[in-house]
Amino acid sequence: MTTFSTKRTSHIGNLIVWTKKLPNFVSQLVVTIVVFAPIYWIVMSSFKGPEEIIRSEPTFWPETWTFGNFERLFTSTKYLVFLGNSLFLSISTAVVTVLISLGAAYGLYRIRVPGSGRIAGVILLAYMIPGTLLIVPLHQTLSGLGLIDSLTALLLLNVAFTAPFSTWLLRGFILSIPSDLDDAAAIDGAGPVRTMFEIVLPLLRPGMATVAVYSFVFSWTEFVFASQFVSRQELQTLPIGLSAIIGQYNVDWGLVLAGVVFTMLPAVFVFLLVGRFFIGGLIAGATK
Amino acid sequence: MRTKTFKLAALVTSAALLLGGCAAPAADPAATDPATDSAAKGEIVIWHMEGVPNRVAAFDALAAEYNATNPDFTVRFETQQWDEIYPKIAGTAQAGNQPDILFAIPDFATYVRSLGLGQPVTDVVEGIDASQGLLDASKVAYQDGGEYWAVPLYGMVQLLWYNKVMFETAGLEAPKTYSELLATAKALTKDGVSGIALPAGKNLATDQVLYSLMITGGAANFFDESEGIALDSPETVKAFSLYNDLLEYSPKDSANYAWGEPQAALNSGAAAMAIEKGQYLTPWAAESGLDPSQLGCAPIPVADNGGQSGSIYYSNGAMVLAEDDDRRAGAGAFLTWLMQPDNYGDFLNAEPGLFLPVTTGGADLEQWRQNEVLSQYPECVDLLLKQSETGALFGFVDGQYVEKIGLISGQNIFAQAIQQMYVNGMPPAEASIWAQEQMKAAIE
Repeated sequence: MTTFSTKRTSHIGNLIVWTKKLPNFVSQLVVTIVVFAPIYWIVMSSFKGPEEIIRSEPTFWPETWTFGNFERLFTSTKYLVFLGNSLFLSISTAVVTVLISLGAAYGLYRIRVPGSGRIAGVILLAYMIPGTLLIVPLHQTLSGLGLIDSLTALLLLNVAFTAPFSTWLLRGFILSIPSDLDDAAAIDGAGPVRTMFEIVLPLLRPGMATVAVYSFVFSWTEFVFASQFVSRQELQTLPIGLSAIIGQYNVDWGLVLAGVVFTMLPAVFVFLLVGRFFIGGLIAGATK
Repeated sequence: MRTKTFKLAALVTSAALLLGGCAAPAADPAATDPATDSAAKGEIVIWHMEGVPNRVAAFDALAAEYNATNPDFTVRFETQQWDEIYPKIAGTAQAGNQPDILFAIPDFATYVRSLGLGQPVTDVVEGIDASQGLLDASKVAYQDGGEYWAVPLYGMVQLLWYNKVMFETAGLEAPKTYSELLATAKALTKDGVSGIALPAGKNLATDQVLYSLMITGGAANFFDESEGIALDSPETVKAFSLYNDLLEYSPKDSANYAWGEPQAALNSGAAAMAIEKGQYLTPWAAESGLDPSQLGCAPIPVADNGGQSGSIYYSNGAMVLAEDDDRRAGAGAFLTWLMQPDNYGDFLNAEPGLFLPVTTGGADLEQWRQNEVLSQYPECVDLLLKQSETGALFGFVDGQYVEKIGLISGQNIFAQAIQQMYVNGMPPAEASIWAQEQMKAAIE
């Protein structure tokens, strides 16, 4: 009797726990489907033939698997060139942005250089200027510098747009590190530079990873500047190369789908590698 | 674990930087060919907006062939995007680093000229005309002030495309008039199939299909003698009204349609008809799974009373933007070479069916006629050529040259009017007046 009563209580307890968890489970399931369904669709369709891709009654699984779309992607487009340019640009942007924003944030929020409050405001203001408004003057400036049609121009522009936000993003991380550590290091004889490199920077790794991922993704998906200031196909990035595949008047759906899959993959790989820092970093940066 | 992850990340980063660094400075083979560099005075840069891989490959092959002839100036094609070319060419105009040659369509050419770019190419056009014979319709839209401002290269025209199997099953024939088109679309809309697939997004595709129906409805010219806009004519309202009515039999998501979606709907069997240009030929068999003979094509239906045969038609031309005399001569030499019969067929085959010849002998070029796609659709190719003879383009009807037309076409005002009817339920008469006001505001 006692055992039965205990089991019954246990079942009721489990039921209550599951009932409480159910809304969470359902909402997570819905979000997962909403997020992954288009990706699933793109990936599966990229393995279909031209007739099956556009069929009005779609198939969830390719009836006949084909790698033809991928083969054409690599043979009829300069995908590898676009990929190389995008990787070079995104990684360079990430590295340079981390270096610049780290230096700026450290000066503004840790050392507190004179006028740091106003400088921080101006930096954030720069982030708010829409890039498209700057196309014509930028064209003149870059042309004057001989940088039109170069990846250097895109690197400069990308960093100009990622560094302000990244500097602000690092603010939360820097403020979360107690200044007592600096004092303790000073007592132990460490100068400001050594304190920065040996005490503060190791604690800023999540923040640096956040900035790196943010600037990588920004550069990976950047379209406007890449389309305006680069013309040679040998210098084009993936968003521009893919956009050209879609083209005027007709769309080669198989080629587009294969291109999308191979454009997503590197970004997904990077995110898998450092994504946990990014998410943790965004939360930390927002709350501190 | 974290240390390992960081090391791995650092390794990947370094490898990618190395890979990217190696890939980044890749040079254009045409630009570094010692055989051509040794003789050339310089390089002519050509911008075009035909970024589809097969077109890029065809253009690059022609450039390599031309460069192999040791010309004074070698040529290099660079691909641009239609969506981005307006601000980009404005930026280059300001900076003075425009390309030597720019592919254009007539309305875009007026915009480029308004930026202070573009040199007369009358001598080149007249030279090609004398040797190859240029169709009047192809060159008239580039003529202003007694000069030609672009060399016509290839034409584009629309037809009514339809699925013959569906028509035969329903016992229908290709519609010839507005009312027949509407009745056919209605009759074929059943069992999940739409009678027609029309674009209704805010884009050039919608502009062009509507304008084709305006032409066949007698509303091709909507400018008065002083270049004022008069879109409230009964003919225009009738065309607007037809488009709005046809959208009832078009797929529900037509408001997002541009170029590719109506074609996909026709080829997949989701729709029975569509109105577009000759790009429908190439993918038909592979995407529909049907025989080429089952793709039907017909002239754009005309208004029941007072209609006239026609379609939107425009030639894509090459504007010469180089200001230096030598470079201008080099640009002219390349364009003249391109239009020679031996090369012109290969050029047109960059997109079979979409690129139509603008020379009198072009229609009979064996290279073009024997193309593996075109040779399967001889009747439709003939119809495309015939339809070109009666085609027109807004702002350039009957010898017009409306300088501000680029400001109107760039904003897709026709397409916006369609959306006013289709999305907001605005009556056709009001939509035509709304479009008229928008166009007036655009050019004032």
